Amino acid sequence: MEVATSNSARRVLTVFFVVLVLFLYLPIAILAVLSFNDGDVTFPLQGFTTEWYSRSLSNPSLLAALRRSAIVATASSAIAVTLGTLVAFALVRRRFVGKSVASALFFSPLVVPYLVFGISLLVLLTAFDRFLADSTGYVIGLGLHAVVIGHVVVSLPYTALTIIPLLERLSISLEEAAQDLGAGPWHRFRRVTLPLLTPALFSSFLIAFTLSFDEYAIASFLAGTQATWPVFLFGQLRVPSQLPQLVAVSSVIFFASLLLVLTAEITRRMSARRYGEAFASRGLA
Amino acid sequence: MATLEGAGSPVAVRARRGGGRSTLGLLSGPLVWVVLFFVIPVGFIAAYSVGAVSLFPTDSGVLSLQDWGHFLGGGSIYLGLFWKSIRISLTVSLVVVLLAYPVGYYLALCVRRRKYVLLLLIIAPFLTSFLLRVLAWKVILGEQGVLNSFLSWSHVRSPDDPITWLLYGQFAVMLVLAYVWVPFVALPIFVSLENLDRSVLEAAGDLGASRWRTFVRVTLPLSLPGVLAAFLFVFIPTIGEFVTPLLVGGPSGYMFGNAINNLFTGALDWQTGSVLALFMLTVVAGLMALFGRFLQVRSVATG
Repeated sequence: MEVATSNSARRVLTVFFVVLVLFLYLPIAILAVLSFNDGDVTFPLQGFTTEWYSRSLSNPSLLAALRRSAIVATASSAIAVTLGTLVAFALVRRRFVGKSVASALFFSPLVVPYLVFGISLLVLLTAFDRFLADSTGYVIGLGLHAVVIGHVVVSLPYTALTIIPLLERLSISLEEAAQDLGAGPWHRFRRVTLPLLTPALFSSFLIAFTLSFDEYAIASFLAGTQATWPVFLFGQLRVPSQLPQLVAVSSVIFFASLLLVLTAEITRRMSARRYGEAFASRGLA
Repeated sequence: MATLEGAGSPVAVRARRGGGRSTLGLLSGPLVWVVLFFVIPVGFIAAYSVGAVSLFPTDSGVLSLQDWGHFLGGGSIYLGLFWKSIRISLTVSLVVVLLAYPVGYYLALCVRRRKYVLLLLIIAPFLTSFLLRVLAWKVILGEQGVLNSFLSWSHVRSPDDPITWLLYGQFAVMLVLAYVWVPFVALPIFVSLENLDRSVLEAAGDLGASRWRTFVRVTLPLSLPGVLAAFLFVFIPTIGEFVTPLLVGGPSGYMFGNAINNLFTGALDWQTGSVLALFMLTVVAGLMALFGRFLQVRSVATG
């Protein structure tokens, strides 16, 4: 007997699942369809056009915002992956006093509302600028660097959490074997550990990248005059004539980030499975 | 800790006590970053909220709990706004858990093949454009929006009589927030049900319990930690929400987060804003202290 569900309950749950998937994807699909509408973002459809897409490509402030977001996302995820790797190594491979405190500290940004974190950083950076202006007459100001700083903090838990499971599966025997064969610590890391970790690093980079590229709350406080894409998008939503273009670009970004996320997830799962098989068959387990 | 079944023994990860200095070396970069840009800023607004530092000429500059007393004593509109936001967030969290639980149950206990693909199908929207997903509803619910223009086009309603209550109100805020967070909490619920020992369910069946009774007396209680985790994972970010109310909330959808945002970007009363922000953080920290042990941070990133 199937203990969890009867056949009829299973059918009900299947229907519920399908309805929920429709509920999740239909609004986005509607938006994507309307981005090709030759008119306002409303029904009934007026005809097919790619005008909004071509117009957005010749909108300099829109392109500038996209470029800023690309810069911020690349920089913050590169830093977050580096720091996340260090955190993962310390938490998986080392025993030390205060480990639970350290891990609570690194993962706490997961449960702090972005609004509170964003304004905290805004207040601190403003205070620091005051201090700098008083003592040196020079200010740093807000901008993309401030957004990068904030995005690294909130991406770090995600990158560390993506790398940790793989590192746990990665037998230390391989590194010990390299050591026995005379490899120094750096050589060992560079030639043995790093190549094995690459899939996890790749997928954590993609996750951090999509998180940063899409992040509005923190960026809205820290970007200053250098609006990133979500900040620009939010500011332009009040201008009805801009809406079709924004919807067009957003749809492209949605499908691009969907692709990135799927790639990240598939890479992670495939590599985890491959390690499992490799270790079992070679008797390293 | 993840283990692999291979050659009869799990992979032993031999954690080393490899010298305190090198561990500190590993952690120094991340520690400096998180302390400098996370711990200190939060500590700083705490100090700012009691007037220990002052940034603007309008700041009190005197160490006092006056702003706190004013706020907590109900002397401002903000405490009432806070309770309203709590109500909205609780409703949203409840709705989201009720929607996500059947999905987690279905994927964990009914689907045998491709369950991770289906799970990814549910989760994927969460990791993509948040603003676009809010925007979609703005376009759908508006007076000249997709829904109303569809209704008038299909002659269900006259074009002069659109449904106006859809957008700009608490309904829209709650609908959109639920929409945004369902994908995220399907994961912790799925994980808790997936880790359930099936033999316990079989035992309940063997002892004569019906499926419904098995669910109510065995499955549901055992999955409650996951449900609670899911609840917190929605409640915490939605209580700090200000973007969704700005886009679809209108005046009646205004939340506590909007007040904080406004104090920092519009009204420029940073000191009061710090009081409110720190209060929100204290509430979240209190929740974490009470229920934090049910939160498996891992379920955020690993299926």
